[in-house]
Amino acid sequence: MKKLLALLLAGAMTLSVAACGGNEAPAEDANAEASTELNIYMWQQYISDELIANFEAENNCKVNLSYMSDNADAINKLTAGGGEEYDLIMTCDAYMESLIAGGYVEEINLDNVPNSANINDAYWVSKGYCVPYLMNYIYVVYDSATCPIEITSYNDLLDPALKGQISTIDGARNLFPMALVALGYDPNSTNADELAEAYDWLVKFNENVAAYGNAEQNLTNGTVSVAVTYDGNASWAMAEKDTIKIAPFTDDAIQLGMDLYVIPKGAKHVDLAEKFLDYICTPEVMAKNLGEFPYSCPNDAAVEAASETYKNDPARQFDYKENVFFQEDVGEALTIYNDYYQKLKVGE
Amino acid sequence: MALTRREKKERRINILSNIYAFLVYAVLYIPVAVMIAFSFNNQRYNYYWNGFTTQWYGKLFSNSALINSLWYSIIIAILSTIISVIIGTIGALGLKKYEFKGKKVINNMLYIPIIVPEIVLAVALLIIFMKVGLSLGMGSILIGHCTFCIPYAVVTIKGRISGDNDTLEEASMDLGANRIQTFLRVTLPTIFPGVMSAAFLSFTLSFDDVVMSNMLAGARQSTLPVLILSMNKSGITPDVNALTTIMVLVIVTAMILNNIIQRSLKKKKGKI
Amino acid sequence: MSMTDQAAMPKKKNLLPKLAMAGPVSLWMILFVTIPLFYIIVISFMSRGVFGDVVYKPTLESYQTILDPTYFQVILKSLKAAGVTTLLCILIGYPFAYIIARKPKDVAAKMITLLMIPFWTNSLMRLNAWLLLFQTSGPVNNFLMNTGLVSKPISFIYTDSLVMVGLITNMLPFAVLPLYSTIEKLERSLLEASADLGANARTTFMKITLPITFPGIFSAIILVFIPSLGIYTVTDMLGGGKVLYIGNIIKNQFGSIRNWPLGAALSVLLILVTMLLIFIYTRFAKIEDMEVV
Repeated sequence: MKKLLALLLAGAMTLSVAACGGNEAPAEDANAEASTELNIYMWQQYISDELIANFEAENNCKVNLSYMSDNADAINKLTAGGGEEYDLIMTCDAYMESLIAGGYVEEINLDNVPNSANINDAYWVSKGYCVPYLMNYIYVVYDSATCPIEITSYNDLLDPALKGQISTIDGARNLFPMALVALGYDPNSTNADELAEAYDWLVKFNENVAAYGNAEQNLTNGTVSVAVTYDGNASWAMAEKDTIKIAPFTDDAIQLGMDLYVIPKGAKHVDLAEKFLDYICTPEVMAKNLGEFPYSCPNDAAVEAASETYKNDPARQFDYKENVFFQEDVGEALTIYNDYYQKLKVGE
Repeated sequence: MALTRREKKERRINILSNIYAFLVYAVLYIPVAVMIAFSFNNQRYNYYWNGFTTQWYGKLFSNSALINSLWYSIIIAILSTIISVIIGTIGALGLKKYEFKGKKVINNMLYIPIIVPEIVLAVALLIIFMKVGLSLGMGSILIGHCTFCIPYAVVTIKGRISGDNDTLEEASMDLGANRIQTFLRVTLPTIFPGVMSAAFLSFTLSFDDVVMSNMLAGARQSTLPVLILSMNKSGITPDVNALTTIMVLVIVTAMILNNIIQRSLKKKKGKI
Repeated sequence: MSMTDQAAMPKKKNLLPKLAMAGPVSLWMILFVTIPLFYIIVISFMSRGVFGDVVYKPTLESYQTILDPTYFQVILKSLKAAGVTTLLCILIGYPFAYIIARKPKDVAAKMITLLMIPFWTNSLMRLNAWLLLFQTSGPVNNFLMNTGLVSKPISFIYTDSLVMVGLITNMLPFAVLPLYSTIEKLERSLLEASADLGANARTTFMKITLPITFPGIFSAIILVFIPSLGIYTVTDMLGGGKVLYIGNIIKNQFGSIRNWPLGAALSVLLILVTMLLIFIYTRFAKIEDMEVV
């Protein structure tokens, strides 16, 4: 055991020495001339290849796309010093406050992104540090052919008739707001008692859940009859199966999440990153993108310019679009969320 | 001609064991068969069977991201297999043969990458690489992969080394062979099946790894499993199935070709 | 090499081969395992920032958290699942490895390759294939419905049994390969001698085959049991995110939940539990080679 400790200490010393050496040599090659490379980290199946190819041709550059599989991947890359590797990283609105406070993102000079004026300010959190890309309503859809009950509120999801019939998105900050809204509380509550009640609600909900994730697959192949999912994903499911409908919620608010681009601290190709942001904010470009990836979009001019198919997409034909809430930073209370979430998943 | 009881029994055992092996293979190949079938599925994402199409094979060839990531994965798998097997073989022999300070610690450290969920080592390595200023890319992925391949290699090869190796080696040395000759002519042949198993394991582990690669991949290129993992949010597109189908086909064809060549070589030898 | 030999040889001559052989692996382990592990141990004693990052303020909070019985339950559940997986893999893998080892060398090599081909396709794709096969409108359910064997589709997916199928099919080669390499070593003449001396098949197996192939079984157990303890992709995909093992919990701390100190503390706990098991196991099995501190 002693030997192990000695080795560990020796290891730690090598590490700290190495770390000191590393910090002194940040390559400070200020970009006098235009960059020819742009490294983007984002969701897969979220941007049109054709648009990327056009951007590359227009700017005579190479765009390297790599993809995350979890929001946490992006946060891990950002906090570990992502600027060394990436010029643009996609993350969501809920993390912005902490990312700015932690100094992980660069301020974006919006003068260099004139097309960002097309973006509806109502959807723009932390303006100046990010540029919104697409957004997701998290709502309930059901298969009208197989769903045994009518769903007009979150509480309907607890109906015992739905046992093993729900496929839902995952994550503490996606699940708890549903419960909080159902109970009549603030969806971003930090009150421990309210969260305890929400936990009890979710335990009942959990009994009806067949799977967390895979909502479209499960809904279209008949494994479940109800899904809590994003509108863009629902759109694909609806295209496969026309009996899939949006639940007509009456009072409960639904979550609206924003996927946005940030420039990580120390990014090397800021000029090109800004050009890219401006490019995707161009109404015609984004409109084309929406044809391929039918998500909701905060870019009003782009939505206006989008195809009729996009505008008439059944996945966005619901009348409670205004009744939404955003995920907010809950500070220290996040620990309570996570502890309950853990307990929920482990079960008693 | 009447068979003796022993021959009959052996024959029966032979048939039974072939059936058993067939069943095991069957279970392992079921998912592969399903995967191949769904490469012909007429659907944007593989939700369920929706009719036959071959369009995905056409689309596959225009999907350069997918093909590039496959090459990248193959190169990484080959390199990490070579590194791991060399270090693992030498290391297994060294750890078996010699006594030195801290050997116990090293022996135990070998278990760590096997025990700890990969994500833990991956996160730790990511932070350390970032602190040291090592840029992410093939180098970092290789280090990550070798870190979990080496222990597997050592454990597998160690199982193959036994006490009588020493006597053989000593005999070889007594007969005047030097260490390297002894290693190549005596030690290596006796442990070769272990080395082969280790190579197979390392290649498989590296080629299929997703957690370590996901954490340590750079911005320019990621591996095929990472690409597939990132599809999980929306669904896996059938062109990935098409790619996998072609991979399986290539491997099987290579095996058959190899078989034919070996057979014809044998025949030629027989004639001469 | 005996102690006296070592003492008799001049020290310098002895050092080079030792360094050359044990050096690389030791160096690698120190650089890329010991140091990261040390880092993990350190952060397990640190506080968690609001943002889930590590705040370098020493605390025992994470260790207090894992005293919660929930974590104990998860570990027990994971040990059980890993144990069953290992047992089944060895039971299925041993005869399989034996059959391969008894074939002529070239056939055996082909059989091993045939065993590995499925694993050169992507594991996520294979897991997804199980879902596609067994889902409600999947081929299996369709067949059962069409033949009238069942009147309602059976829910095969997102169950513990499917997770087990996924675990076994994913781990099997890790059992077969080490088993094969020791069984292959077994001299056929030894078995024939035993049979000639009148031992029946069972005695031969118990008295000769099993003891000689024991190192292979040991490797197989280590290579299957330990990784299945920490695996999480199988449970995530086939369990529908409802079945959680310790690996999932740890992954979530570094992922969606973002509590690195807790994830680190749980990893340390997992390492200790596993080391303890290996320790007991090696003592019990009287294996000298696999010492544990």
